[in-house]
Formats: sequence, structure tokens, C-alpha cells
Amino acid sequence: MAPESERTGKAGVIVAPEDANPMEKIAHSILDDTLYNIVHDLLMKVHRDEKMARAGTAAIKIEKMASDASDSSTPDAKPDVRIETDAAIYEEGRVFLKGNPLKTTKDILCPRCHLPRLLNPTDGKGAQKPDPSIIYCKKHPYIDKPGYDIYGQTWVPAGPGRGKKKKDMEKKMDPNDASSPAGAGEGSAKDRPPNVLSFPSATCSKCKRCILVTRLNNHMGSCIGNSGRIASRAAAQKISNGGSNGGSQNNDNTPPGSQKGTPLPTSRAASPRKRDGDEFDEDADESDPANPKKKKKLKPTALTKKVILKTSKPMVKKDKVKANSSLNVEQKIDDEDTKDLTAQVTRKKSAPKTGPSPAKKLKLGAGKPNLPAAPKKAKRDRDLESESSGTLSSPP
Amino acid sequence: MAARPATPASPKNARIKSPQPGQPVFGCEHLQRLFNQDQATTNTSIHHYKTILRNIMELPPWEYQSAKMTDTGAIITPMTPTYLCLQCPSILTEEDCVKHGSKKSHRFYVESREGYLYCQMCDDFVYDPTLEELRLRKSGSGTFSGARKRKQDEMFAASDPAKDSPSYISSNTTAPSCKANGLRGIYNAGATCYQNVVLQSFLHNPILRNYYLSDAHSSAKCEVPYCLSCAMDDMFQEFYVAENTNGYTAANILSGFWISEKKAFENLVTTKEQDAHEFFQFLAEELHERNGDGKKPEIGSEHSCNCIIHQTFYGKIQSTTTCQHCNGVTNQVQSFLDLSLPLENLTQKKGKKGSSTKANAMTLQECLDEEYIKDDKCEYRCNNCDSMQQARRQTSLKLLPNVLSIQLKRFEFKQGRNERAAKLDTPVHFPLQLNMLPYTTKARTTDTTEHFELARSCVYELFSVVVHVGEIDTGHYVSYCRLGNQWFAFNDHKVEMASISDVLSARAYLLFYIVRSLA
Repeated sequence: MAPESERTGKAGVIVAPEDANPMEKIAHSILDDTLYNIVHDLLMKVHRDEKMARAGTAAIKIEKMASDASDSSTPDAKPDVRIETDAAIYEEGRVFLKGNPLKTTKDILCPRCHLPRLLNPTDGKGAQKPDPSIIYCKKHPYIDKPGYDIYGQTWVPAGPGRGKKKKDMEKKMDPNDASSPAGAGEGSAKDRPPNVLSFPSATCSKCKRCILVTRLNNHMGSCIGNSGRIASRAAAQKISNGGSNGGSQNNDNTPPGSQKGTPLPTSRAASPRKRDGDEFDEDADESDPANPKKKKKLKPTALTKKVILKTSKPMVKKDKVKANSSLNVEQKIDDEDTKDLTAQVTRKKSAPKTGPSPAKKLKLGAGKPNLPAAPKKAKRDRDLESESSGTLSSPP
Repeated sequence: MAARPATPASPKNARIKSPQPGQPVFGCEHLQRLFNQDQATTNTSIHHYKTILRNIMELPPWEYQSAKMTDTGAIITPMTPTYLCLQCPSILTEEDCVKHGSKKSHRFYVESREGYLYCQMCDDFVYDPTLEELRLRKSGSGTFSGARKRKQDEMFAASDPAKDSPSYISSNTTAPSCKANGLRGIYNAGATCYQNVVLQSFLHNPILRNYYLSDAHSSAKCEVPYCLSCAMDDMFQEFYVAENTNGYTAANILSGFWISEKKAFENLVTTKEQDAHEFFQFLAEELHERNGDGKKPEIGSEHSCNCIIHQTFYGKIQSTTTCQHCNGVTNQVQSFLDLSLPLENLTQKKGKKGSSTKANAMTLQECLDEEYIKDDKCEYRCNNCDSMQQARRQTSLKLLPNVLSIQLKRFEFKQGRNERAAKLDTPVHFPLQLNMLPYTTKARTTDTTEHFELARSCVYELFSVVVHVGEIDTGHYVSYCRLGNQWFAFNDHKVEMASISDVLSARAYLLFYIVRSLA
């Protein structure tokens, strides 16, 4: 019968069975010792951080007392006083510890701003209400709460209205959408709680216009990129393709109603594509069989598409036959599919974003196209929508 | 007790670190008493502490792990930490410290894993400013004085010694808010997540951070229009100085990127999703041109430059080709920005061995072994034989970079079936600490098994991981970055806390390691 000490290491957690053979005992004791070392290292790290912070706090406190006591005008000067607290002694401008700072000092002062550190997060896991009477250091513990970032912020879900139209935002609210926290994004900017942020705008360095950040890359593509080689390449491709791609090129991703708002030239139907759009759509649908877009895809016109979408989405109450609303519905679906991939709207190899750019350039040139909206991915709708509404809000 | 060589006491008197505001002078009252006895005691104590640190960090473990039992006199070598007496050469187990203390009145012991000081009278570990500084320096750079500087130290070293004085520094620096910590998301400007992840890995790279925060490339002084380095400078300021916690809009980076005339990366300049690795290369080369000698790096050559990018990312790789006919050896040295590790061959090899998907998982070290330890056959034109010959080629790392970037080639262009590129989702286990010694040219030519100091200098610590989720055609990039000991997950504008297991279980695409002596 082996004594306990022979069957385990220093941690005493992993114990070999009593009838274990010597090799088993050694293996158990090595594993146990390794566990001890891991815990030892972790503990030392935490202990060091905490003890040094507390020792620093004791020093900061007593230095403050010393400078207060000497009422010297120069804060950097070392006052010649002797002060003693429970945690430290101040003498000849030097601070000496008294006792163990882990026992004598309970709070932690920031070594930079000398304000107390908030020790618990204000929200989420392990949250505690901070004392409202205390001004804390601005460095707060990070918040661990699903749907929120480390500062307890969340964002207006990227949606059709981009936080502009209340109507759109209501539609956006989906009980199944776990990623958008309840209440977040509801209403306009005024009604929003301060921790719900909307997407900002940025100034394009070339044309100095203010562009919503989610559209910035698209915008720069047309604003900067178009003037250069991309445009020439796109043009060359346009010529070589010659509109032979048929259906997939009727890429009026915008439903008819929207087109009224944004006059789109027919010529942009021949927008350059590296790959055939249809082939691409198939790939995408295969990867997501539950996707309602597949159904949609079979429908020949935008009108029927709209009806189907509405029945599949009882949430949508607005029955206006305005195509604008149908656009929103499409986007809503799209958002559900890609809710984790915010603003991740394009696909490799299928250059849909080059589409809108010529449109913008030429949009005064031609009337709205009379082609029926081709079956297509809602994703592209969003791309187009974003670009076209961008041009609407700020005409060149 | 060969572990403690009796070196003569250094002629200079050991000095206690001068008092800093907000910091006690000594680790505890008892250490204060020890250091206040007389200069000789202080000298020997500090000298002993240095010797102990040198021993536990340089000597093989059995030297400092062998403790003599106080009762029986037997020598035991435990795996768990031993305690080295600061006042005499004894090595003790934790239990024996009390006995040793009461017998000899020696009250301070150094723990053998990291060199922390234990005070028996406090019955606690104490962190003395003077001794901690020595310990950190030793475990960091391997020296106490900091005389043997790494090259990036020279870069940051001011030419004027007066500029090194604390008063000069404090009067010429702006202290950022306590809130500014470099943790901000970056908004996705429309399929720009491939840029965001790379920018985050740059932002959390301590070398680049120090470079930009020390105003080494000031956007106020630079006159290049749409300079990407200025855009980086602005971004570093925004991240580490501003109090804003909202996401950052990388408009300047984006416009600099759109305007850039780099032909090699023409494909990148689109509104489509792109490869993060390509963007990393683009950004590195662009920043090199803005900060460096202006020469375009030639692929395959041994290009060295003193710019921040070269000092941070570039290492050297040596390919040794041995002719099978005449045994003639040709060495070729190339600079590298990153190491690209193919996964496909290894995946296939593993697939043959084990049929289950779990067996397919491999480690980063296996991938490195495959590339930088094993040799392969090739044909080459031997100068000696003056004909085409079979040769063995072996690649090893001649110079390790300060920041080691590793790309795991998850996107393979498959020949044959539709000639389409495919994504390999094979899990690759990667460590938080990576020892690169086995892959160095030095390890190949000399026996390094006893070189603990050398091995220590080749240890890298992970600080950033870029992950691609989704298919090859479309997907999303997210990244993880470490700040101190805490990991954070960056998903465009959203920053969340991440656990180490989140990080280590990620299907990494790009890995960024930083050499430990800098970390």
C-alpha cells in the first residue's frame, strides 16, 4: 500500500489509484506537478499585478498627504515632512511600505491620473453598480455582455434606413435576430440610449463629400478608382462582353419603384462582370439551402417576388405597393442571412459593385430602363440601393 | 553547488533604484532593513540576486532544481519550483525554507521559475523596484545592463544623451488619457474587413506602435500627398491618444490605398473582398517605401533596409543546395516578410494515416518542420559539375525577424477540377509561445541542445491572429489581438473580450508572433 505522497505530486489533485504500478504513479505525479506549476505561474502573475498596484496606491496616497501638509506651491518638490499611515511611511521625500499592501490597502488608484480605479464592470458579467459619489479613473474594466462591445456599446443594426427613417427601423426589428439587442436601434437618434451608436460618415479625400462609412469603399472606387485604370479595364471588359451574358446582366437590382427615384440608364445593364452572375448565384444558393432567395430566384418578375416575400414575412405590415418598401423587405431578409457579417455585402469574383459606378456617372443620360427586374440576389440590391441613395442625398 | 561561481564582487557599489513618484522605495519593510544595513550587504544581496537570476535563466534546469533536504541531506530534484536562498548558496524546497530560515536567519528566497523574491517575514512574495527591474531586464533581453542592444533599440535611441533624461522626456511628451488604450474597432467601409484585420494587427504590434507614437513619421511634417504612413500615424494617434471608444473610420488609409500606384497590387484596388495576406504585403511594402530607403524590394534578393518595416518584419532565409554528384554546396540568402506554410501536402499525408477528421488536425510546428527542417530533392545546375544534377535543398532561417508573420496557406489553387481555388479548413494548432530555434540555420550547423540562452532568444509570443470565416469566394475576416494578457476579438467596429481558448481554437489564416525579449 503506497502512501498518498507517492501517488501524487505537489498539487495533490491528480492521484493515482492505490493499486497503480510504479509507472502510473510517476505519470500521475508528473501531471500533478505540471498542474501545480501552471497554477503557480498564473497566481504569481495576478499576485504581482495586484500587489504592485496596491503598493503604488499606498505610495500615491501618502505622497498626496505629504504635499497637502506642506502646502508647497510646486507640486513636484519633495516636502520635508514625516507622515505615517497604516500602509506606508513618508520620510525625506521617500515612501516606505509598512506591512503588506495587500492587507493595508483596499482600493487601487490609477498611477497616471491618481483617481480610483473602478474594479468591477458596470454591465454584463460580474457587473456592479459603481458608487455615484466617486469620480473614477477613465480606464474601466471591460464589459463582457453578449451583443455589446467591451465598452458596453452597441450599434444601430445596419439596415435599409441606416438609422434615418423610423419606418425602416421598425421593420428592422426582428425578434429572431439575436444579434440585435432588444430596444437597440429603435427610433431615431434622439430616442436612442447613449450606448447605441450609429454608423458615422467620413469625408472623401478627393471630392470632399460626406459619405456614410459603409459606402465609403464603394464611393472611393467610383470617385478615385474610376478615373484610373479600373475604368479603362471595366470599359474594355464591357466591350468584350458585349451584353452576351443575357439575363444575368439585366442587373437592375433596384425594383421598379426605386428606379423612379433614381433614374438609371439602360447602359449599365452591361456592367462588367468577371464571372457570370448566374453561375455565381447558384453557388451561393447551394451553400444555403434554407435561403428564401432560392424561391425568389425562380420568380420571373419583381412583382411576384414581392408578393412571395410578403407572405413569407408576416412581420411586414405595410401593404403599400410602393416598390421602395419591397426593397426594404428584401434587405431585411438579406440582413438575416448575413447578420453576423455586417456590411459584408460583396462577393469575390463577381464584381457587382462596379455596376453602380457607371450608373452614377451616366445617371442623367438615360431614362429608367423598361426591363423587368431580373431574378437576382438581394445582396446586390443592397449594394445598389446604398450607392443610389447616396447619390440622391448628395447630387454631384 | 557548482551553480554559484564565486565571482569577485563588482567594484562598483550596487545602487538602490532612486525613488519614483507613486512607488515605494523597497518591496517590504524587511527588505528595507536588509538594504539599509550597510553598503556591503546591499552589494552582496544584489550580486547574489543577479547570480541566481543568471543561473535560473541560463543554466540547465537540474542545476537549480536540485534541492538538498535539510533533514536527510539527500538531493531531490522536484519539477515544482525550488527556492534559492538570497543570503547563501542553499537551494531548498518550499517546505524547507522555514527550517533554513530559523536555523540561519536567512529570510529571502528566490523562486526558481521566474525569479520572484519571497520574504519569509511577510510570508509573501515581494516586488522590490530595484530587484524587479533586474529580473525583468534579465528575462527580457538576457542582460542586466541593457548594453547589448537589439537593433531596434538603436533606432529609437536618441542621438543626444540629454534627450534620454526623464525630465526632457516628460517635458516633451503628452500623456494620453487613461481611457485611450488602443482598443477600438474599425468600421467596415464596404467589404474592407480584409484591411481592418491587418490594420488591427499593425495597431497592436508594439514595435510599430512605439515607432508611430514617438512621432517617427509625423503626419504634420510629411508632405507626400495621400501618404499611407501618415494615415497610419493618424490612426495610431486616434487609437492611443483619443478617448473615443466608437469605431474608427479608416478613410485616409482607404483613400491612400485607392490612390496608390502599386502595380503589383492592382488587383487589390477594387470594392470586392480581398485577401488579407495580400493587403498585409501591400501595406508593408507601401510603408517601407514611405519610411525606408525608397528602393523597391526585389523579390528573391537579400534586401536589407533600416526602415521600420524591415526592422520589424523582415528576416532572412537561407537555402542550402547540395549537389548529389559532387557534394558541392551552394547557399542562397533571401529576405522574407513572412513565412508561408503550405497545408495541403501535410493534410494529405495525415489523411492517409488517420481516417477520422480529428486526426487531420496538425500543429504549426509540424508545418514548420516540413518547410524548414526537412529537405527536398530538386534539380539544379551545378557549377562544379557544369551540368544538371540531382540536388538536395534545405531551407532554414538565417535571421529571425522581430515580428514573425506566418501565413497558413488555406487558399489553394487546385489544378484540374474546374481549376478553382479551394479553401482548406484543416485545423492547425498553434502555440501562444513558439520556439523558432529548431528552424534556424544556427541550430542546423551547431549543437544547440545546451544553449538555453540562445533558445530563450528564439522564443516568440503570439499577439495577433487573423481568421477567415466562410467560403473562398465570400466570407469575413475577424481577428484576435492581445493587450497585455487579455485577448480581444475584433470584428470590424466591434471589440469584445476573448478567452485564450477562443483564440487557440480559431482557424487561423495569419499569425503574428513577436520575439519575447521585446514583448
